[in-house]
Amino acid sequence: MTDPDARSAAFAEYVEPELEVLLRVAQSLTGSWSDAEDLVQDTLIRAFAGIGSFDGAYPRAWLLTIMRRANINAHRRQRPGTIDPFAGLENRTPAFGSAVADNPEDMVLEQVIDEALAQAVGALDPRFRAVIVLVDIEQLSYQETADVLGIPIGTVMSRLSRARSRVRKSLEHHRATRRQS
Amino acid sequence: MIHALRTMIECRWSARRIQRYIDADPAAPLTADELQRLTAHLDVCERCTARERETRGVKASLARLSERRAPDPVRVARLRLQAQRISQGER
Repeated sequence: MTDPDARSAAFAEYVEPELEVLLRVAQSLTGSWSDAEDLVQDTLIRAFAGIGSFDGAYPRAWLLTIMRRANINAHRRQRPGTIDPFAGLENRTPAFGSAVADNPEDMVLEQVIDEALAQAVGALDPRFRAVIVLVDIEQLSYQETADVLGIPIGTVMSRLSRARSRVRKSLEHHRATRRQS
Repeated sequence: MIHALRTMIECRWSARRIQRYIDADPAAPLTADELQRLTAHLDVCERCTARERETRGVKASLARLSERRAPDPVRVARLRLQAQRISQGER
């Protein structure tokens, strides 16, 4: 694909619908919305450079693979060896669309559960946390998660299973502690 | 004794498939036979049904966390503009 109009059309068709997903995943990878925006911009530039050889199948998976490489390069440039991706889940501010429950009691209950959940996920080993954040919070498929993390699908599944099991046990413990107090 | 052993085997077999059953991910589908065997076991096993319910609960609560932290629309709009600039830059 060498025609500039065709490249622009392909970019609009495959890339633009994925911007929000890319931003969310980038936020999970970097821990900040501002760094996430930079990472998505870098991903967009790389994606446009490679759009000519993209076959149009699974654009999200293709973009997430590009993002993973861009993120690795960014870490090499900035803070080598110091990144703990997906950390700080409990500090994320639900600024937009935060009112999910209809009444104040449900809102309080949801907030308590959310805080316990965020703590449970935050306490996981980073390898397990990354997978549960991408699959259960960012709603990526196994394949997309494998692409972002650069690991096989079987590893995604086994880590997800262990992560959920640990979160489940942690919530059970949290409930038991609340009942006692 | 034989019944208890058979149930234990079914529980272990099911435990390895409940995640795939819940997620229904295209990369790891259950076969029709697996699906039939698993649902038949869930119909009669309280422990595995409880495990399924709890896992679905965790999954649903985490999905709700996602709903509550949608990105700022201004950032998305800025990226959309950036994407358009990148793609039109070479024309």
